[in-house]
Amino acid sequence: VKPAPLEYVRPSSVAQALAELADDPDAKLLAGGQSLMPLLNLRLARPSRLIDIGWLRELDRVFDDEGSVLLGALVRHRRLETDPLLRARLPLVAEAAAHIGHRGIRNRGTLGGSLAHGDALAELPAVMVALQATIHAESRSGGRRELPADGFFLGHYTTRLQPDEIVTWVRIPVLSARSGWGFVEFARRHGDFALMAAACTLQLDTDGLVVGLRAVLVGAGDHPRVVTTGEELRGARPSADLWSEWAGRWATVIEGEDIEYRRELATAALRRALTAATHRAEGTP
Amino acid sequence: VVSNRFVGSSVPRREDDRLLRGQGRFVADLVRPGALHVAFVRSVLPHAEITVRADVARGHPGVALVMTGAELARHARSLPVLHRPDAAFVEASGFVMPDVSMPVLAVDRVRYVGEPIVAVVATSRAIAEDAAELVEVDYEPLPVIHDAAHALGDDAVVLHESAPGNLAAALCFEHGDVAGAAARAAVTVEDSYRLGRHSGIPLECRGVVASVDHRRSRVELWTSSQVPHLVRRLVCASTGWRTDELRVAVPEVGGGFGPKANVYSEEVVVAVLARLLGREVAWLEDRAEHMVASAQARDQVHATRLSVDQAGRILAWEDDYLIDVGANSLWTGGIIANTALHVLGAYRIPAFRIAGRAAYTTKTPVAQYRGAGRPEACFALERSLDAAARKLGISAVEIRRRNLLDRTDLPHSRPMPYRDGVPIVYDGADYLACLEACVAALGPEAVDRVQADHPDRLVGYGVATYVEATGRGPYESASVRLTPSGTFAVAAGSASAGQSHETTLAQVAADALCTDLACVVAVNGDTDAIAEGIGTFASRSAVLAGSAVHLAATELVRRARHLVAQLLDVPAADVHVTAGGFRAGDGRHVGWSELALELAPGGRLDHEPPLEVLHRFSPPTVTWTMGAHAAVVTVDPDTGGCSVVRYAVAHETGESIHPQVVDGQIVGGVAQGIGGALFEEFRYSEEGQPESMTFADYLLPGTLEVPDVEIVHLHAGTDRNPLGIKGVGESGTIPVYAVLAGAIDDALGKTAPRMTATPMTPEVVRASLRTVERRDR
Repeated sequence: VKPAPLEYVRPSSVAQALAELADDPDAKLLAGGQSLMPLLNLRLARPSRLIDIGWLRELDRVFDDEGSVLLGALVRHRRLETDPLLRARLPLVAEAAAHIGHRGIRNRGTLGGSLAHGDALAELPAVMVALQATIHAESRSGGRRELPADGFFLGHYTTRLQPDEIVTWVRIPVLSARSGWGFVEFARRHGDFALMAAACTLQLDTDGLVVGLRAVLVGAGDHPRVVTTGEELRGARPSADLWSEWAGRWATVIEGEDIEYRRELATAALRRALTAATHRAEGTP
Repeated sequence: VVSNRFVGSSVPRREDDRLLRGQGRFVADLVRPGALHVAFVRSVLPHAEITVRADVARGHPGVALVMTGAELARHARSLPVLHRPDAAFVEASGFVMPDVSMPVLAVDRVRYVGEPIVAVVATSRAIAEDAAELVEVDYEPLPVIHDAAHALGDDAVVLHESAPGNLAAALCFEHGDVAGAAARAAVTVEDSYRLGRHSGIPLECRGVVASVDHRRSRVELWTSSQVPHLVRRLVCASTGWRTDELRVAVPEVGGGFGPKANVYSEEVVVAVLARLLGREVAWLEDRAEHMVASAQARDQVHATRLSVDQAGRILAWEDDYLIDVGANSLWTGGIIANTALHVLGAYRIPAFRIAGRAAYTTKTPVAQYRGAGRPEACFALERSLDAAARKLGISAVEIRRRNLLDRTDLPHSRPMPYRDGVPIVYDGADYLACLEACVAALGPEAVDRVQADHPDRLVGYGVATYVEATGRGPYESASVRLTPSGTFAVAAGSASAGQSHETTLAQVAADALCTDLACVVAVNGDTDAIAEGIGTFASRSAVLAGSAVHLAATELVRRARHLVAQLLDVPAADVHVTAGGFRAGDGRHVGWSELALELAPGGRLDHEPPLEVLHRFSPPTVTWTMGAHAAVVTVDPDTGGCSVVRYAVAHETGESIHPQVVDGQIVGGVAQGIGGALFEEFRYSEEGQPESMTFADYLLPGTLEVPDVEIVHLHAGTDRNPLGIKGVGESGTIPVYAVLAGAIDDALGKTAPRMTATPMTPEVVRASLRTVERRDR
């Protein structure tokens, strides 16, 4: 498992990286390398050149804004998982990040890398969709643009990113008061790719009734699937029966192989995630 | 009088200091700058006729040599099998095994994905891989053989001309009135049980480094193997080299588990290349290769029928099993025999019929893997007992209680010979007591406590027992030599892949020599260290190599005593062994270093030959261990995911040289059993393509999947070796599959479809629950 011959460059700025990328259509960006390196070693990816942006410290910064957090694309999974500020402001992201691979992988893997790679079974794309994050991308030809995470992921390893674009920043809204979140993942072992995972956010009004709800499934198709944006449950009172009933309905978006088992998993993941979100929104243990 | 001082004590392991400091030297650490590296072109189809063109690859910059199968055939012949049972066993079982040898490099035809076709030698592995891509192999696909049943069917293509019908081996044992007993039975249970294809997955893949020692006119081969002497035997058989033209040695080995107790094409090829090129040549297996080119294992299907009376006592036991040995195997004879010889378990069985067949398929070859045919046998019998217990309405513990051999039955004869031809006699103490000890450590009542901690989970209890023949011959040899400085150099056959032989063999020697552990250095795993040997597998090294070391050291002491008597001019009977040397009746003391000086040139005994003893120990036959395992498992009813939360082992064993090493063997064995039961499988597609190619597909148990293991040791000595040792390397794995299947069944409830195959994945468990839910709806 040695990569096919390739060139390696290490740009010292985003601008330089964009120029390198624009000049060589067969080049690949390397950040944390946790997905790309195995593909290179198995010769499943054969880029002409690796542009190593993992050293660009300008993209390894975090800004805590009013109502949202702006994260550089090179923020590592391990920081999402453990940084006290991020845990407090983005607890759903922190929980999801803890499910990515093993600690060694989380130490190197990057937020931007995960989103640009667009693995259908990855955790971070799903929570970005659940939280309605905005992905900032930049290219030499097209300049800067902002893309909603919902709609960014098109299929297996396919996103709306252009070949010469780099994910630079991600803006993630923080949840409001009386909000809760849930993240439940079923995997064969901790750290494995998800068999099924559900991420959700829930907002209740002062009477404890649903005013906002988003739920996303990982493993339900070739990209994160939004199974509800909450309209059908506006004004409903959360309960175990409510979540059981609707989780089962939402799970029917799943088609294809092993449909029965995957729908069962989706139902359980959604039910448990929504139950956890309810407890958090209600402030009950 | 020699008293044990080190045997039985968990002295600090000698290996640990260097290993924990990262100073261990594994095969890849031996490769010197300037060595050439090999990459293999391997078959990408399960079965095809091939045409090879390598001209472009030969011209690639950095390539030293490209060797096709046809070219290699000028230097090496295909490999003969590693084991044939004794004639008495063949006679008793009607054993047949066609003569099929293992191609070194494929010529004209490939029979599994991963089979080596061409060796490319270059200045680096990366360049060798680049050039390997330039070798053109034209494949003309041939039909695939999916499994053993398919292989033996009329419509399967024949894989080896010398094995008509793809039959790799067959045997049958029959005893007692099986039909009559079955007719009298109160309950008869029939089912089919399958242990899936998986294997030992060492942390360190295989690797071979060879160079030419021009001074000694020989090739030196370092290989990550459990069996250096068998490697030498087969490389010489293949190449026609004399034994003294080849040294085989193993460095630190990062796990073996059986797949490295095998001889492989790569060892022959690298040896031949080193000799042809006169250069150091290295091949370091990567994980992608390992998943298709290292031996796989298990893959047996058992069609069983167990007949019991109203009290649950066994009347007759019938098992007709099929083994998928893949495209070839050097160990078919050992595996098929092991299964038959262990399928009667630890029970009173008055009548039985055991029939086994092994068949060739278009999958990776199999070899022995920890247990080597025994876990499969155990799974079939223990699952059948669980089925009978359920029908009778008694517990899993109770049905075993009513059938286990106890102290009034033991030692117990079986009406069949072992593979060595010697009639089987279990030299155990009390198998029933062992079950009771296991249940005392972890009984069915533990379910309630676990249930209280896990209210959302289904909880179940499983128990199973096993027997294991350990310490198989034919022999292992050892030498002990008094060095000029008065210390001892010990060498033995066998080879450590983590079993701590450096420490344990030194313990045995130090006790026999009545000397300090620090005065003994023990080495093995090297044909230079000792001329004759077999290797480490089959739970044999402590028994065989340990006994050989003990006997060699004991004989050295006897000879030394006579020398001391000569030195002191007293009768030998007047010389007594004492700590660090000898003492005469008159109080004069001669230490080992003093004796060494007298034996050296200029000493008073310099006319005597050096004090060195070589001993070859051949046991009369195997010695049997037995054990009982129990587990508590939780099941997530939503997902079918299973967790093993409690695990206990009670086993009958002989003397322990190093109790901590023994415990490590058992816990490691249980961990691998959990892996095979719940996670690990080499899957193949309908087209015969392997689908478990990385650790994202082939799942190994980690620390979160393996609970603490409680171990109860019960002493049951043996007189079949001088140390009273029984082997312990494999037993931890054998019953785990059956224990966990029983526990999952118990958790799912009496009406759920039972677990009959591994791995018991969440999807399989969930499907069983779904059946119950549908029925109840």
